[in-house]
Amino acid sequence: METVSVLERRALSEAVFELQLSRPSGFAFTAGQWLRLSYRGTTRSYSMVSGPDEPFLTLCIEHVPGGGLSPALASIDVGTRVGIDGPHGYFTFLESSWRSFFVATGTGIAPFASMARSGVQGFTLLHGSREREQFYYASLFRNHPCTYIPCLSSGEAPEGGFSGRVTHWLEQHLAPGAYAFYLCGHHEMIREATLLVDERFPGSVVRIESYS
Amino acid sequence: MKIYTGTGDRGKTGLFSGERVSKCHGRIEAYGDIDELGSVLGALGAALGSDQEDLRGEVQEIQAHLLCLSAWLATTPGSPAADALKPIPSGRAQTLERAIDRMQDALPELQGFVLPGGHATAAWAHLARTVCRRAERRLVAVVEVESAEKDAMMNEAMIYLNRLSDYLFVLARTCNRRQGVSDALWEP
Repeated sequence: METVSVLERRALSEAVFELQLSRPSGFAFTAGQWLRLSYRGTTRSYSMVSGPDEPFLTLCIEHVPGGGLSPALASIDVGTRVGIDGPHGYFTFLESSWRSFFVATGTGIAPFASMARSGVQGFTLLHGSREREQFYYASLFRNHPCTYIPCLSSGEAPEGGFSGRVTHWLEQHLAPGAYAFYLCGHHEMIREATLLVDERFPGSVVRIESYS
Repeated sequence: MKIYTGTGDRGKTGLFSGERVSKCHGRIEAYGDIDELGSVLGALGAALGSDQEDLRGEVQEIQAHLLCLSAWLATTPGSPAADALKPIPSGRAQTLERAIDRMQDALPELQGFVLPGGHATAAWAHLARTVCRRAERRLVAVVEVESAEKDAMMNEAMIYLNRLSDYLFVLARTCNRRQGVSDALWEP
């Protein structure tokens, strides 16, 4: 466990914020990995949203009312010291001949933002959300060599996006075949998407990072 | 983070390399048996007394090695995910051989077939030995079905499990000797 400083706290929406931390020398990670953050005796895991070559570590955190750590982090002061441990995890991009589909809900977008910042290109990203203002990092992906499809689960489709759940997009738009799926976010999306892959896209590979 | 995802509710699971396979796929059967072996070794470790720290340490080291084997079994050879795994060091079977020789030196010569049992720790070691042999058979099946005879990691795993069963046999006898229990011999 190393101690680092909170450098910045920035709101991305009413419920989600970024926390920028100082980066210890020697803290090397691969985009898609996560760290354990400890503060006031409580520890939680968060994926890095910053790229592996950036000078700071940035996390994308959902403020869960009544949660063990996020309420404290949501009001943490710049300069506060917190503990980190890592990096951990194997949810990293693997080059393959398959077409890659990144599928995220909520803050599950974080590892994909890190991957884009690390130079991964050519993927199709589906980001599912219930609210229009929760398409975090939309400008990053819109200006990145990839196909970005925000999926609003109800209401009119957002610009360049889809009205419906990410799994509905896969059902309606993806031709039968084998693909590389990377799923990150809420466990219900991961369950639905994985079962859909089993049924409709056999022979695909599925890599999973569950956030809840 | 929830421990359940529900992605296996319809009989499929994901390999570490990402392929979705049946839960009775040969690789799942093989690493399932290795998982069982690790659990039996956990029971053995828990049964060893505080005066058997040396053996408990060896058993825990083997449990860690088995997790390493499982990771390789969960990964399709040649897949990009294999690059994320640490190779199985080639010297682990030799380490087991040295431990076998060390324990063997302190044991009376074997006079016949041993009936598994005796002290509880020895009984756990014998059970671990039989699960180890089953895991080895499953591994051999994977290697044969996938024609993976030239896969270096599968070969290391086969050597390791073959030697581990021998180690567990001698360990069972060692557990009995340390507890002052004689091995029961088969009388046909």
